[in-house]
Amino acid sequence: MNVSAADRERLDVDQIGRGVPLGAMLRRRFGGRYPIDAFGFDPQVVDLVTPLFTAAIRVDVEGGEHVPTAGAAVLVANRGFGIVEPAVLGIAVRRVASRRLRIVGAPAVPALGGLARRLGAISASAPDMRACLRAGNLVAVPLAPTWLRRGAGIPPRPLLQAMTTAPIVPVAVTPGGPFGLALAPWRVRFGPLVTLPDPYDPGDPLAAARFGEAVRDAVSDLLEQPIR
Amino acid sequence: MTTERVLITGMGGELGTRVAQLIEQRSWAAEVVGVDFVPPRRRLRRAEFHRIDPRDRDRLATFVEGFAPSVVAHFGVYEPASRMSPLSAIERTELCTIATMSAAARGGNLAYVVVRSGLEVYGPLTLRASVPDEDVMPEPRTPYGRSLLEVESIVAGLRLRHGVPVCTLRYAPVVGPHVPSPVGRLLRLPVVPVPAFADPPFSLLHPDDAAEAMVAAIDRRYDGPLNVVGPGAATPWQSVRLGGRVPLPVAGPLWDVAARVVELAGAAIAPHVIEQLRHGRTGAGDRAVDALALRHLVPTQTVLRELFEWADVIPIPTSREQVA
Repeated sequence: MNVSAADRERLDVDQIGRGVPLGAMLRRRFGGRYPIDAFGFDPQVVDLVTPLFTAAIRVDVEGGEHVPTAGAAVLVANRGFGIVEPAVLGIAVRRVASRRLRIVGAPAVPALGGLARRLGAISASAPDMRACLRAGNLVAVPLAPTWLRRGAGIPPRPLLQAMTTAPIVPVAVTPGGPFGLALAPWRVRFGPLVTLPDPYDPGDPLAAARFGEAVRDAVSDLLEQPIR
Repeated sequence: MTTERVLITGMGGELGTRVAQLIEQRSWAAEVVGVDFVPPRRRLRRAEFHRIDPRDRDRLATFVEGFAPSVVAHFGVYEPASRMSPLSAIERTELCTIATMSAAARGGNLAYVVVRSGLEVYGPLTLRASVPDEDVMPEPRTPYGRSLLEVESIVAGLRLRHGVPVCTLRYAPVVGPHVPSPVGRLLRLPVVPVPAFADPPFSLLHPDDAAEAMVAAIDRRYDGPLNVVGPGAATPWQSVRLGGRVPLPVAGPLWDVAARVVELAGAAIAPHVIEQLRHGRTGAGDRAVDALALRHLVPTQTVLRELFEWADVIPIPTSREQVA
Protein backbone atom coordinates (compact mmCIF):
# COMPACT_ATOMS: atom_id res chain seq x y z
CA MET A 1 0.00 0.00 0.00
CA ASN A 2 1.31 3.48 -0.91
CA VAL A 3 1.64 5.97 1.92
CA SER A 4 1.35 9.59 0.83
CA ALA A 5 3.98 12.23 1.55
CA ALA A 6 1.34 14.14 3.53
CA ASP A 7 0.92 11.13 5.81
CA ARG A 8 4.68 10.97 6.41
CA GLU A 9 4.82 14.71 7.11
CA ARG A 10 2.00 14.46 9.64
CA LEU A 11 4.03 11.88 11.59
CA ASP A 12 6.78 14.38 12.43
CA VAL A 13 5.73 15.69 15.83
CA ASP A 14 9.23 16.91 16.75
CA GLN A 15 10.16 19.58 14.21
CA ILE A 16 8.03 22.68 13.75
CA GLY A 17 7.26 22.74 10.04
CA ARG A 18 5.70 25.40 7.88
CA GLY A 19 2.68 27.11 9.41
CA VAL A 20 -0.84 26.06 8.51
CA PRO A 21 -3.54 28.78 8.19
CA LEU A 22 -5.96 28.79 11.12
CA GLY A 23 -8.95 27.98 8.91
CA ALA A 24 -7.27 24.93 7.40
CA MET A 25 -6.12 23.85 10.84
CA LEU A 26 -9.65 24.02 12.24
CA ARG A 27 -11.05 22.13 9.23
CA ARG A 28 -8.51 19.36 9.80
CA ARG A 29 -9.36 19.38 13.49
CA PHE A 30 -13.06 18.83 12.93
CA GLY A 31 -12.34 16.22 10.28
CA GLY A 32 -10.07 14.28 12.63
CA ARG A 33 -7.06 14.81 10.34
CA TYR A 34 -4.37 15.79 12.83
CA PRO A 35 -1.34 13.88 14.14
CA ILE A 36 -1.21 12.11 17.48
CA ASP A 37 1.82 10.17 18.61
CA ALA A 38 1.93 7.00 20.69
CA PHE A 39 2.24 9.03 23.92
CA GLY A 40 -0.93 10.99 23.13
CA PHE A 41 0.97 14.15 22.10
CA ASP A 42 -1.09 16.50 19.94
CA PRO A 43 1.31 18.97 18.24
CA GLN A 44 -1.53 20.89 16.58
CA VAL A 45 -3.03 21.81 19.97
CA VAL A 46 0.42 22.83 21.23
CA ASP A 47 0.95 25.04 18.17
CA LEU A 48 -2.47 26.62 18.77
CA VAL A 49 -1.90 27.48 22.46
CA THR A 50 1.79 28.43 22.25
CA PRO A 51 1.14 32.04 21.09
CA LEU A 52 -1.02 32.55 24.20
CA PHE A 53 1.78 31.33 26.50
CA THR A 54 4.38 33.32 24.58
CA ALA A 55 2.32 36.48 25.06
CA ALA A 56 1.80 35.81 28.78
CA ILE A 57 5.31 34.65 29.74
CA ARG A 58 8.41 36.63 28.80
CA VAL A 59 11.53 34.47 28.42
CA ASP A 60 15.22 35.40 27.94
CA VAL A 61 17.42 32.63 26.57
CA GLU A 62 21.20 32.13 26.82
CA GLY A 63 23.33 29.37 25.33
CA GLY A 64 20.76 28.30 22.74
CA GLU A 65 23.56 26.95 20.54
CA HIS A 66 23.88 23.98 22.94
CA VAL A 67 20.40 22.65 22.10
CA PRO A 68 20.53 20.04 19.28
CA THR A 69 18.35 21.00 16.32
CA ALA A 70 17.69 17.35 15.41
CA GLY A 71 17.85 13.93 17.02
CA ALA A 72 17.28 12.64 20.53
CA ALA A 73 18.59 14.66 23.48
CA VAL A 74 17.81 15.16 27.15
CA LEU A 75 17.47 18.58 28.78
CA VAL A 76 17.94 18.35 32.55
CA ALA A 77 16.52 21.39 34.32
CA ASN A 78 16.06 22.62 37.87
CA ARG A 79 12.53 23.10 39.15
CA GLY A 80 10.84 25.32 41.70
CA PHE A 81 7.12 24.73 41.96
CA GLY A 82 7.15 23.07 38.55
CA ILE A 83 3.99 24.70 37.23
CA VAL A 84 5.30 27.39 34.88
CA GLU A 85 8.74 25.89 34.15
CA PRO A 86 7.53 23.41 31.49
CA ALA A 87 5.93 26.22 29.49
CA VAL A 88 9.04 28.41 29.90
CA LEU A 89 11.31 25.61 28.69
CA GLY A 90 8.98 24.82 25.80
CA ILE A 91 9.01 28.46 24.65
CA ALA A 92 12.82 28.64 24.92
CA VAL A 93 13.34 25.44 22.92
CA ARG A 94 10.95 26.56 20.18
CA ARG A 95 12.84 29.82 19.91
CA VAL A 96 16.38 28.41 19.69
CA ALA A 97 15.85 25.03 17.99
CA SER A 98 12.39 25.15 16.30
CA ARG A 99 11.47 21.90 18.02
CA ARG A 100 8.63 20.76 20.23
CA LEU A 101 9.63 19.69 23.72
CA ARG A 102 8.51 16.57 25.58
CA ILE A 103 8.46 16.84 29.36
CA VAL A 104 8.77 13.98 31.83
CA GLY A 105 6.17 13.91 34.61
CA ALA A 106 2.61 13.48 33.33
CA PRO A 107 0.40 13.48 36.45
CA ALA A 108 -1.36 10.24 37.40
CA VAL A 109 -4.78 11.96 37.48
CA PRO A 110 -7.18 10.72 34.75
CA ALA A 111 -8.40 13.92 33.04
CA LEU A 112 -5.42 16.12 33.98
CA GLY A 113 -2.95 13.42 32.94
CA GLY A 114 -4.63 13.11 29.55
CA LEU A 115 -4.48 16.88 29.04
CA ALA A 116 -0.80 17.00 30.03
CA ARG A 117 -0.03 14.19 27.57
CA ARG A 118 -1.83 16.15 24.84
CA LEU A 119 0.55 19.03 25.54
CA GLY A 120 3.70 16.87 25.42
CA ALA A 121 4.13 15.31 28.85
CA ILE A 122 5.22 11.69 29.20
CA SER A 123 5.11 9.55 32.33
CA ALA A 124 8.18 9.39 34.55
CA SER A 125 8.96 5.77 33.70
CA ALA A 126 12.13 4.37 32.18
CA PRO A 127 10.37 2.48 29.32
CA ASP A 128 8.52 5.63 28.22
CA MET A 129 11.71 7.67 28.45
CA ARG A 130 13.58 5.09 26.34
CA ALA A 131 10.80 4.95 23.76
CA CYS A 132 10.56 8.73 23.52
CA LEU A 133 14.32 9.10 23.02
CA ARG A 134 14.47 6.28 20.48
CA ALA A 135 11.79 8.16 18.52
CA GLY A 136 14.30 11.04 18.25
CA ASN A 137 12.56 13.50 20.57
CA LEU A 138 13.95 16.27 22.74
CA VAL A 139 12.97 15.32 26.30
CA ALA A 140 13.11 17.59 29.37
CA VAL A 141 13.76 15.88 32.69
CA PRO A 142 13.13 18.03 35.77
CA LEU A 143 15.31 17.56 38.84
CA ALA A 144 13.59 17.23 42.22
CA PRO A 145 11.81 20.44 43.29
CA THR A 146 13.75 23.03 45.28
CA TRP A 147 10.98 25.15 46.73
CA LEU A 148 13.28 28.02 47.77
CA ARG A 149 15.11 27.78 44.42
CA ARG A 150 18.52 27.29 45.99
CA GLY A 151 20.68 25.06 43.82
CA ALA A 152 19.68 22.05 41.75
CA GLY A 153 17.53 19.20 43.05
CA ILE A 154 18.25 15.47 43.13
CA PRO A 155 18.26 13.72 39.73
CA PRO A 156 15.47 11.15 39.15
CA ARG A 157 17.31 7.87 39.90
CA PRO A 158 14.92 5.50 38.02
CA LEU A 159 15.41 7.48 34.79
CA LEU A 160 19.18 7.88 34.89
CA GLN A 161 20.04 4.81 32.83
CA ALA A 162 17.51 5.75 30.15
CA MET A 163 18.87 9.32 30.13
CA THR A 164 22.41 8.21 29.33
CA THR A 165 21.36 6.81 25.95
CA ALA A 166 21.24 10.37 24.51
CA PRO A 167 23.26 13.62 24.76
CA ILE A 168 22.48 15.48 28.01
CA VAL A 169 22.19 19.27 28.11
CA PRO A 170 21.99 21.01 31.53
CA VAL A 171 19.51 23.87 31.85
CA ALA A 172 19.01 26.49 34.53
CA VAL A 173 15.57 28.08 34.75
CA THR A 174 15.18 31.13 36.98
CA PRO A 175 11.95 33.07 37.48
CA GLY A 176 11.55 36.76 36.78
CA GLY A 177 10.33 37.50 40.31
CA PRO A 178 9.78 35.90 43.70
CA PHE A 179 7.41 32.85 43.73
CA GLY A 180 7.48 32.75 39.96
CA LEU A 181 5.75 36.11 39.54
CA ALA A 182 6.26 37.62 36.09
CA LEU A 183 7.83 40.88 37.32
CA ALA A 184 10.71 40.44 34.88
CA PRO A 185 11.39 37.88 32.11
CA TRP A 186 12.16 34.28 33.07
CA ARG A 187 15.72 33.30 32.27
CA VAL A 188 16.65 30.02 30.62
CA ARG A 189 20.35 29.22 30.38
CA PHE A 190 21.50 26.16 28.42
CA GLY A 191 24.94 24.73 29.19
CA PRO A 192 27.35 22.60 27.15
CA LEU A 193 26.80 18.82 26.91
CA VAL A 194 27.51 16.89 30.08
CA THR A 195 30.19 14.22 29.56
CA LEU A 196 32.21 11.86 31.71
CA PRO A 197 36.01 12.04 31.56
CA ASP A 198 36.47 8.33 30.76
CA PRO A 199 34.63 5.95 28.36
CA TYR A 200 31.45 4.36 29.68
CA ASP A 201 28.75 1.86 28.73
CA PRO A 202 25.28 3.51 28.44
CA GLY A 203 23.73 0.52 30.21
CA ASP A 204 26.09 0.68 33.19
CA PRO A 205 24.23 1.72 36.41
CA LEU A 206 27.43 3.15 37.93
CA ALA A 207 28.03 5.34 34.88
CA ALA A 208 24.39 6.45 35.10
CA ALA A 209 24.84 7.44 38.78
CA ARG A 210 28.00 9.38 37.91
CA PHE A 211 26.10 11.12 35.12
CA GLY A 212 23.40 12.04 37.62
CA GLU A 213 25.94 13.79 39.84
CA ALA A 214 27.66 15.45 36.89
CA VAL A 215 24.35 16.80 35.59
CA ARG A 216 23.35 18.12 39.00
CA ASP A 217 26.71 19.90 39.33
CA ALA A 218 26.37 21.34 35.82
CA VAL A 219 22.88 22.74 36.57
CA SER A 220 24.13 24.17 39.90
CA ASP A 221 27.03 25.88 38.09
CA LEU A 222 24.63 27.40 35.57
CA LEU A 223 22.39 28.68 38.37
CA GLU A 224 25.36 30.28 40.15
CA GLN A 225 26.66 32.07 37.07
CA PRO A 226 26.05 35.85 37.25
CA ILE A 227 23.30 37.30 35.10
CA ARG A 228 24.65 38.99 32.00
CA MET B 1 18.22 -23.31 -1.77
CA THR B 2 14.83 -24.95 -1.14
CA THR B 3 15.12 -26.79 2.14
CA GLU B 4 12.42 -25.64 4.52
CA ARG B 5 9.21 -27.47 5.24
CA VAL B 6 6.88 -24.68 6.36
CA LEU B 7 3.71 -25.20 8.36
CA ILE B 8 1.22 -22.30 8.63
CA THR B 9 -1.49 -22.64 11.25
CA GLY B 10 -4.58 -20.46 10.85
CA MET B 11 -4.03 -20.38 7.09
CA GLY B 12 -7.73 -19.90 6.38
CA GLY B 13 -7.76 -16.43 7.92
CA GLU B 14 -6.88 -13.32 5.94
CA LEU B 15 -3.47 -12.94 7.59
CA GLY B 16 -2.60 -16.63 7.35
CA THR B 17 -3.40 -16.63 3.64
CA ARG B 18 -1.31 -13.52 2.99
CA VAL B 19 1.62 -15.08 4.82
CA ALA B 20 1.23 -18.24 2.72
CA GLN B 21 1.27 -16.17 -0.48
CA LEU B 22 4.49 -14.43 0.59
CA ILE B 23 6.21 -17.64 1.71
CA GLU B 24 5.33 -19.30 -1.63
CA GLN B 25 7.59 -16.72 -3.30
CA ARG B 26 10.59 -17.47 -1.06
CA SER B 27 13.30 -19.64 -2.54
CA TRP B 28 13.97 -21.35 0.80
CA ALA B 29 10.44 -22.77 1.01
CA ALA B 30 10.48 -26.36 -0.31
CA GLU B 31 7.00 -27.27 0.91
CA VAL B 32 4.28 -24.99 2.28
CA VAL B 33 1.40 -26.62 4.13
CA GLY B 34 -1.39 -24.95 6.07
CA VAL B 35 -4.15 -25.98 8.43
CA ASP B 36 -7.28 -24.22 9.69
CA PHE B 37 -10.95 -24.90 10.30
CA VAL B 38 -11.97 -22.70 7.33
CA PRO B 39 -10.39 -22.72 3.86
CA PRO B 40 -8.36 -19.77 2.47
CA ARG B 41 -10.28 -17.27 0.36
CA ARG B 42 -7.42 -16.36 -1.96
CA ARG B 43 -5.61 -18.27 -4.67
CA LEU B 44 -2.54 -20.15 -3.48
CA ARG B 45 -0.10 -21.45 -6.08
CA ARG B 46 2.12 -23.90 -4.23
CA ALA B 47 0.74 -24.07 -0.72
CA GLU B 48 -1.34 -27.07 0.25
CA PHE B 49 -4.30 -26.58 2.59
CA HIS B 50 -5.71 -29.15 5.02
CA ARG B 51 -9.03 -28.44 6.69
CA ILE B 52 -8.57 -29.51 10.31
CA ASP B 53 -10.44 -27.98 13.25
CA PRO B 54 -8.03 -27.33 16.16
CA ARG B 55 -10.64 -28.93 18.43
CA ASP B 56 -9.87 -32.23 16.68
CA ARG B 57 -6.60 -32.32 18.58
CA ASP B 58 -5.50 -35.85 17.72
CA ARG B 59 -6.00 -35.38 13.99
CA LEU B 60 -4.11 -32.09 14.06
CA ALA B 61 -1.22 -33.57 16.07
CA THR B 62 -0.97 -36.63 13.81
CA PHE B 63 -0.92 -34.46 10.70
CA VAL B 64 1.72 -32.06 12.04
CA GLU B 65 3.97 -34.85 13.32
CA GLY B 66 3.71 -36.64 9.97
CA PHE B 67 4.62 -33.47 8.06
CA ALA B 68 7.57 -32.80 10.42
CA PRO B 69 7.92 -29.05 9.71
CA SER B 70 11.24 -27.24 10.00
CA VAL B 71 9.52 -23.84 10.28
CA VAL B 72 6.18 -23.11 11.96
CA ALA B 73 4.34 -19.83 11.31
CA HIS B 74 1.69 -19.91 14.01
CA PHE B 75 -1.37 -17.86 13.09
CA GLY B 76 -3.72 -20.25 14.89
CA VAL B 77 -4.29 -17.55 17.49
CA TYR B 78 -7.93 -16.53 17.31
CA GLU B 79 -9.16 -13.13 18.50
CA PRO B 80 -12.38 -13.20 20.54
CA ALA B 81 -15.39 -11.65 18.77
CA SER B 82 -13.47 -11.68 15.51
CA ARG B 83 -14.62 -14.83 13.74
CA MET B 84 -16.09 -16.71 16.72
CA SER B 85 -17.33 -16.30 20.26
CA PRO B 86 -14.78 -15.35 22.95
CA LEU B 87 -14.87 -18.77 24.67
CA SER B 88 -14.53 -20.67 21.42
CA ALA B 89 -11.63 -18.44 20.30
CA ILE B 90 -9.67 -19.01 23.48
CA GLU B 91 -10.33 -22.76 23.42
CA ARG B 92 -9.25 -23.11 19.76
CA THR B 93 -6.14 -20.97 20.36
CA GLU B 94 -5.00 -23.11 23.27
CA LEU B 95 -5.72 -26.44 21.58
CA CYS B 96 -4.11 -25.39 18.31
CA THR B 97 -0.96 -24.10 20.04
CA ILE B 98 -0.42 -27.13 22.29
CA ALA B 99 -1.16 -29.72 19.60
CA THR B 100 0.90 -28.00 16.89
CA MET B 101 3.96 -27.16 18.97
CA SER B 102 4.27 -30.50 20.71
CA ALA B 103 3.74 -32.44 17.46
CA ALA B 104 6.16 -30.20 15.55
CA ALA B 105 8.83 -30.85 18.19
CA ARG B 106 8.20 -34.60 17.98
CA GLY B 107 8.60 -34.42 14.19
CA GLY B 108 12.32 -33.92 14.72
CA ASN B 109 13.03 -31.25 12.06
CA LEU B 110 11.88 -28.14 13.92
CA ALA B 111 14.38 -25.29 13.54
CA TYR B 112 12.33 -22.09 13.89
CA VAL B 113 8.96 -20.89 15.20
CA VAL B 114 7.27 -17.52 14.72
CA VAL B 115 4.06 -16.77 16.57
CA ARG B 116 1.34 -14.17 16.34
CA SER B 117 0.84 -12.34 19.62
CA GLY B 118 -0.42 -8.85 20.42
CA LEU B 119 0.08 -5.68 22.43
CA GLU B 120 -2.82 -6.95 24.56
CA VAL B 121 -0.26 -8.93 26.60
CA TYR B 122 0.96 -5.69 28.22
CA GLY B 123 -2.45 -4.90 29.70
CA PRO B 124 -3.85 -1.37 29.99
CA LEU B 125 -1.48 1.54 29.53
CA THR B 126 -0.35 2.75 32.93
CA LEU B 127 2.25 4.97 34.52
CA ARG B 128 4.45 1.85 34.59
CA ALA B 129 4.76 2.18 30.81
CA SER B 130 2.32 3.91 28.52
CA VAL B 131 4.36 2.97 25.43
CA PRO B 132 5.80 -0.42 26.44
CA ASP B 133 8.83 -1.87 24.72
CA GLU B 134 9.67 -5.57 24.64
CA ASP B 135 11.52 -5.36 28.00
CA VAL B 136 8.34 -4.43 29.91
CA MET B 137 6.86 -7.34 31.85
CA PRO B 138 3.48 -8.42 30.40
CA GLU B 139 0.51 -7.97 32.75
CA PRO B 140 -2.61 -8.81 30.73
CA ARG B 141 -6.00 -8.01 32.26
CA THR B 142 -8.35 -9.38 29.58
CA PRO B 143 -9.10 -12.96 28.46
CA TYR B 144 -7.51 -12.32 25.03
CA GLY B 145 -4.38 -10.83 26.62
CA ARG B 146 -4.07 -13.83 28.95
CA SER B 147 -4.63 -16.19 26.02
CA LEU B 148 -1.79 -14.51 24.10
CA LEU B 149 0.52 -14.74 27.10
CA GLU B 150 -0.35 -18.43 27.43
CA VAL B 151 0.63 -18.96 23.78
CA GLU B 152 3.91 -17.11 24.36
CA SER B 153 4.62 -19.30 27.41
CA ILE B 154 3.93 -22.51 25.48
CA VAL B 155 6.27 -21.62 22.63
CA ALA B 156 8.89 -20.37 25.10
CA GLY B 157 8.94 -23.99 26.32
CA LEU B 158 10.19 -25.03 22.88
CA ARG B 159 13.15 -22.71 23.27
CA LEU B 160 13.91 -24.02 26.75
CA ARG B 161 13.52 -27.75 26.10
CA HIS B 162 14.57 -28.04 22.46
CA GLY B 163 16.74 -24.95 21.89
CA VAL B 164 14.50 -23.81 19.01
CA PRO B 165 14.64 -20.05 18.35
CA VAL B 166 11.19 -18.50 18.77
CA CYS B 167 9.96 -15.08 17.66
CA THR B 168 6.75 -13.70 19.15
CA LEU B 169 5.33 -10.85 17.13
CA ARG B 170 3.23 -8.60 19.37
CA TYR B 171 1.00 -6.95 16.81
CA ALA B 172 -0.95 -3.75 17.36
CA PRO B 173 -4.63 -4.46 16.58
CA VAL B 174 -4.71 -5.52 12.92
CA VAL B 175 -7.41 -3.59 11.10
CA GLY B 176 -8.31 -3.62 7.42
CA PRO B 177 -11.37 -3.72 5.21
CA HIS B 178 -11.06 -7.47 4.59
CA VAL B 179 -9.87 -8.52 8.02
CA PRO B 180 -12.52 -9.61 10.53
CA SER B 181 -11.61 -7.39 13.47
CA PRO B 182 -13.84 -6.37 16.39
CA VAL B 183 -12.21 -2.91 16.54
CA GLY B 184 -12.73 -2.30 12.83
CA ARG B 185 -16.32 -3.51 12.99
CA LEU B 186 -17.04 -1.27 15.98
CA LEU B 187 -15.53 1.85 14.41
CA ARG B 188 -17.62 1.36 11.26
CA LEU B 189 -20.91 1.47 13.17
CA PRO B 190 -22.96 4.65 12.62
CA VAL B 191 -22.82 5.41 16.38
CA VAL B 192 -19.58 4.56 18.18
CA PRO B 193 -19.18 4.35 21.99
CA VAL B 194 -16.22 6.46 23.17
CA PRO B 195 -14.86 7.17 26.67
CA ALA B 196 -16.64 10.17 28.16
CA PHE B 197 -13.74 11.55 30.21
CA ALA B 198 -10.67 10.36 28.34
CA ASP B 199 -9.28 10.11 24.83
CA PRO B 200 -6.30 7.74 25.03
CA PRO B 201 -4.14 6.95 21.98
CA PHE B 202 -4.11 3.59 20.25
CA SER B 203 -2.03 2.30 17.36
CA LEU B 204 -3.12 -0.03 14.56
CA LEU B 205 -1.35 -2.29 12.09
CA HIS B 206 -2.08 -2.81 8.41
CA PRO B 207 -2.69 -6.50 7.45
CA ASP B 208 0.02 -6.38 4.74
CA ASP B 209 2.55 -5.19 7.33
CA ALA B 210 1.52 -7.95 9.74
CA ALA B 211 2.13 -10.58 7.07
CA GLU B 212 5.38 -8.93 5.91
CA ALA B 213 6.71 -8.86 9.49
CA MET B 214 6.07 -12.58 9.98
CA VAL B 215 7.89 -13.55 6.79
CA ALA B 216 10.74 -11.13 7.56
CA ALA B 217 11.13 -12.79 10.97
CA ILE B 218 11.52 -16.18 9.23
CA ASP B 219 13.95 -14.69 6.69
CA ARG B 220 16.16 -13.30 9.47
CA ARG B 221 15.51 -16.01 12.10
CA TYR B 222 14.95 -13.35 14.77
CA ASP B 223 14.82 -14.84 18.27
CA GLY B 224 12.72 -13.03 20.91
CA PRO B 225 9.65 -10.80 21.20
CA LEU B 226 9.04 -7.86 18.88
CA ASN B 227 6.33 -5.18 18.93
CA VAL B 228 5.00 -4.56 15.42
CA VAL B 229 3.11 -1.26 15.43
CA GLY B 230 1.91 1.13 12.75
CA PRO B 231 3.61 4.56 13.16
CA GLY B 232 1.67 7.26 14.98
CA ALA B 233 -1.61 6.80 16.80
CA ALA B 234 -5.24 7.87 16.84
CA THR B 235 -7.76 8.38 19.61
CA PRO B 236 -11.37 7.16 19.88
CA TRP B 237 -12.86 10.66 19.49
CA GLN B 238 -10.55 11.40 16.57
CA SER B 239 -11.48 8.12 14.87
CA VAL B 240 -15.16 8.97 15.13
CA ARG B 241 -14.57 12.34 13.45
CA LEU B 242 -12.31 10.77 10.83
CA GLY B 243 -15.03 8.29 9.90
CA GLY B 244 -17.90 10.80 10.08
CA ARG B 245 -19.57 8.72 12.79
CA VAL B 246 -21.60 9.88 15.80
CA PRO B 247 -19.82 9.59 19.18
CA LEU B 248 -21.68 8.10 22.14
CA PRO B 249 -19.87 9.08 25.37
CA VAL B 250 -19.80 6.18 27.84
CA ALA B 251 -18.40 5.99 31.37
CA GLY B 252 -17.87 3.38 34.10
CA PRO B 253 -20.39 0.53 34.31
CA LEU B 254 -22.26 1.84 31.27
CA TRP B 255 -19.59 0.16 29.11
CA ASP B 256 -21.25 -3.21 29.81
CA VAL B 257 -24.59 -1.81 28.67
CA ALA B 258 -22.98 -0.26 25.58
CA ALA B 259 -21.29 -3.58 24.77
CA ARG B 260 -24.63 -5.42 24.80
CA VAL B 261 -26.38 -2.78 22.69
CA VAL B 262 -23.54 -2.72 20.18
CA GLU B 263 -23.58 -6.52 19.98
CA LEU B 264 -27.25 -6.32 18.96
CA ALA B 265 -26.19 -3.86 16.24
CA GLY B 266 -23.86 -6.51 14.81
CA ALA B 267 -20.45 -5.70 16.33
CA ALA B 268 -19.66 -7.79 19.41
CA ILE B 269 -17.22 -6.01 21.74
CA ALA B 270 -14.80 -8.20 23.67
CA PRO B 271 -13.20 -6.93 26.91
CA HIS B 272 -9.87 -6.24 25.17
CA VAL B 273 -11.63 -3.85 22.78
CA ILE B 274 -13.21 -1.97 25.69
CA GLU B 275 -9.78 -1.85 27.33
CA GLN B 276 -8.34 -0.37 24.13
CA LEU B 277 -10.99 2.34 23.94
CA ARG B 278 -10.79 3.23 27.66
CA HIS B 279 -7.04 2.98 28.31
CA GLY B 280 -5.41 3.11 24.87
CA ARG B 281 -3.07 0.58 23.26
CA THR B 282 0.31 1.53 21.86
CA GLY B 283 3.82 0.11 21.97
CA ALA B 284 7.37 0.97 21.00
CA GLY B 285 7.91 -0.70 17.65
CA ASP B 286 11.36 0.59 16.72
CA ARG B 287 13.14 -2.68 17.58
CA ALA B 288 11.07 -4.56 14.96
CA VAL B 289 11.68 -1.81 12.41
CA ASP B 290 15.45 -2.26 12.84
CA ALA B 291 15.55 -6.05 13.27
CA LEU B 292 13.15 -6.89 10.42
CA ALA B 293 13.88 -3.86 8.18
CA LEU B 294 10.22 -2.78 8.20
CA ARG B 295 10.90 0.64 6.67
CA HIS B 296 7.51 1.32 5.10
CA LEU B 297 4.92 0.49 7.75
CA VAL B 298 1.53 2.04 7.05
CA PRO B 299 0.72 4.79 9.62
CA THR B 300 -2.15 4.18 12.02
CA GLN B 301 -4.29 7.01 10.68
CA THR B 302 -3.87 5.74 7.10
CA VAL B 303 -5.06 2.32 8.26
CA LEU B 304 -8.13 4.01 9.76
CA ARG B 305 -8.85 6.04 6.62
CA GLU B 306 -8.62 2.90 4.49
CA LEU B 307 -11.10 1.24 6.81
CA PHE B 308 -13.57 4.09 6.49
CA GLU B 309 -13.12 4.43 2.72
CA TRP B 310 -14.22 0.84 2.20
CA ALA B 311 -17.78 0.89 0.85
CA ASP B 312 -20.63 -0.06 3.17
CA VAL B 313 -22.53 -3.24 2.42
CA ILE B 314 -25.86 -2.07 1.03
CA PRO B 315 -28.61 -4.70 0.74
CA ILE B 316 -30.28 -4.49 -2.69
CA PRO B 317 -33.96 -5.44 -2.64
CA THR B 318 -34.55 -8.22 -5.19
CA SER B 319 -37.50 -10.47 -5.87
CA ARG B 320 -37.26 -14.25 -6.39
CA GLU B 321 -38.11 -13.77 -10.07
CA GLN B 322 -35.20 -11.36 -10.58
CA VAL B 323 -32.78 -13.75 -8.92
CA ALA B 324 -34.03 -16.64 -11.03
